[in-house]
Amino acid sequence: MRHAPRKSMLQLQALAALQAMQILIVEDERKLAEAIKQGLESEGYSAQTAFSAQEANRLLGNGAFNLVLLDIMLPESNGLALLRKLRSEGFKMPVLLLTALDTIEDRVLGLDAGGDDYLIKPFAFPELLARVRALLRRVDAAPQSSLEYAGLHLDLATRTASRKGAALDLTAREFDLLEYLMLNRGHVVSREMLTRDVWRETSRYTTLDNVIDVQVARLRRKIDQPFSAPLLHTVRGIGFILKAWE
Amino acid sequence: MRFKFRAGSLRRRLTLWYGTLFGLLLLLHVAVATYVHYRQLVAQVFQGEIQDIETVEGLLYQTPDGRILMHEDYFNQPRMPMQLGRFFEVLDTGGQVLFRNQKLGTASIGGFSLPREGFGSYNERVDTLSDGRSVYVISHAHRIDGRTVILRLAYERAPVLRNVGQFLKILLLLAPPAILIAAVVVFQITGSALSPLRAIVRRAERITAERLNERLPVDDRHSDLGQVAAAFNELLRRLEESFTQLKRFTADASHELRTPLSSLRSMGEVTLQKDRSGREYREILGSMLEEVNRLTQLVDSLLLISRADSGQIVLKPSDFSLGDLVQETVSLVEILAEEKQQTIRVQADADLVVRADRTILRQAVLNLLDNAIKYSPPRTEIRISVERADGGLGQIAISDQGAGIAPEERALIFNRFYRTGEGRSTVDGGAGLGLSIARWAAEAHGGTIEVSPGADQGSRFLFTVPLRERSVGKIAESSDACASCGVDL
Repeated sequence: MRHAPRKSMLQLQALAALQAMQILIVEDERKLAEAIKQGLESEGYSAQTAFSAQEANRLLGNGAFNLVLLDIMLPESNGLALLRKLRSEGFKMPVLLLTALDTIEDRVLGLDAGGDDYLIKPFAFPELLARVRALLRRVDAAPQSSLEYAGLHLDLATRTASRKGAALDLTAREFDLLEYLMLNRGHVVSREMLTRDVWRETSRYTTLDNVIDVQVARLRRKIDQPFSAPLLHTVRGIGFILKAWE
Repeated sequence: MRFKFRAGSLRRRLTLWYGTLFGLLLLLHVAVATYVHYRQLVAQVFQGEIQDIETVEGLLYQTPDGRILMHEDYFNQPRMPMQLGRFFEVLDTGGQVLFRNQKLGTASIGGFSLPREGFGSYNERVDTLSDGRSVYVISHAHRIDGRTVILRLAYERAPVLRNVGQFLKILLLLAPPAILIAAVVVFQITGSALSPLRAIVRRAERITAERLNERLPVDDRHSDLGQVAAAFNELLRRLEESFTQLKRFTADASHELRTPLSSLRSMGEVTLQKDRSGREYREILGSMLEEVNRLTQLVDSLLLISRADSGQIVLKPSDFSLGDLVQETVSLVEILAEEKQQTIRVQADADLVVRADRTILRQAVLNLLDNAIKYSPPRTEIRISVERADGGLGQIAISDQGAGIAPEERALIFNRFYRTGEGRSTVDGGAGLGLSIARWAAEAHGGTIEVSPGADQGSRFLFTVPLRERSVGKIAESSDACASCGVDL
């Protein structure tokens, strides 16, 4: 375990950074709000819930939040109204809109009101986490020329991959898939995310789910089969994760 | 909300407006007529006076002592419409009164003579007698026995004014009955003209969501109201169509949603019956999440269908090669075929360009291809050809070597939510929408889709779509027709 000390340092740093991250969840559906809160907390974020726009207003007045998850359809008051008010008052933190309204016009309306991203219900939790990470990501995340994780090495310039020095023969799609999994290492990646970010399809459909499953199985054969410690795991009902279990 | 049409108000307003306008025009007419009548009378009076004065001239004589007298046996009347009091006096050029007729008595016609009064003209004028009576006066210079005198003849004005007043009074008395009659006639005519409207309103009030099949009465398609009723009927027809679709959609949707919901429910209930290991719980939760995923995709499909049904999906046409589209689709899913050791052979005519919504067409081809892979046994071949067909159509034929489709099912497989007898698609989690979406895609572009038995075995799906040379200028039409295409989605 050559990499162990270095990695745990990184993890500690990441954890410290995460702990500073305060997330406000504005969602009137209490079950959903609680589930998101628990999910975010288990990822190391600090989260608070508000079940109404008034409550959100009060909480925002009291403390600083790094990110707001905002449901658009709130009782009594519209989430977009709250968002416009926040923006007009100079609140600059990123806002991720959660909504069941999925037409293009609704999206445009939401983004125009000052939203930074838009997630349609029902969403996959890994997707939510990925968006949250993206919104909280520091600008200093410069484009990397290579990725390194648990003995896997990806050279993004030459598009070659190796594990523990042994070259892996990957197709273009497999390379893209592995790159995406490496970027999200340690986090579950849902099929929706793969559909959008690796296959670049606009909507998810059953055929593509099957294609993704087969593609992941093939990639797993290539990167895991010759080695004793598997890296690529299927999380049933959710998606896939690239993770070295210690 | 009930649409309340106040039948009386339009009719009353029309009548009121018409009556007022008619009354005003009538008054204008009366005023002009009265004035013209007065002018004519006055002209006649002066005409009469001129005739009269010539008669009088013949009756005047001078006595030896220089007095002027008249033979008063003068009853000659000019042709006049009415009896007017006639006054007459004779003056010398100095303005001295030489003679006055009896009727005039001591009163005088006008005072001093006018400059050159009666020479060359008759000086027709309205004047006042010294006793205040208003008269029409003319003057004329006349020579009697070498002596120049001025004759003044005056006709009383009052009878003329009375006559004109009478005339005006009669016209004014006639106006109210005329206005009344006109108003009544208008009231009746608008009433009968608007009566179909009342019938329409009564019928329209009866039409509810449950009785959308009712139609408004159309007496005459070419009358204004007939056109209104026909337009409303067309609107009702479209409403009824949408409503029927909505009802069917709701029924389908609730049916389709029930299945995954009930399996979710049983999984939860069964799991909670006893304590299980953490691993078991994870398995079951994962399985429930899979079901939730299925449910989510089903809702997405249902939304797509409902949008297609209501014509909300607007095609975004672009030009592209049909062969490229097929190649792209094949390369996306061929990994699935590889897993079953199936081979996909494509034979594509490279020059076939269509103008169509690429995303929708791609989805259709993808669904067909996915079906072919799914229902073909391992180690078989799937053949795809892209070629030109008759009638300016591009044709995609997909042949598999699967079990084939029973003849009685061939017409049904394109219906939404249809699953073949073996329920084979439930195994794969399909909602039975793939082929119906493919059919909708074909029809939305003015193409067709059909299935026939394959050459040796299996099925052959034939998908056609108009080529660009034919479809240019037609695409707008077909996107309009989309709502009706969607009916059968």
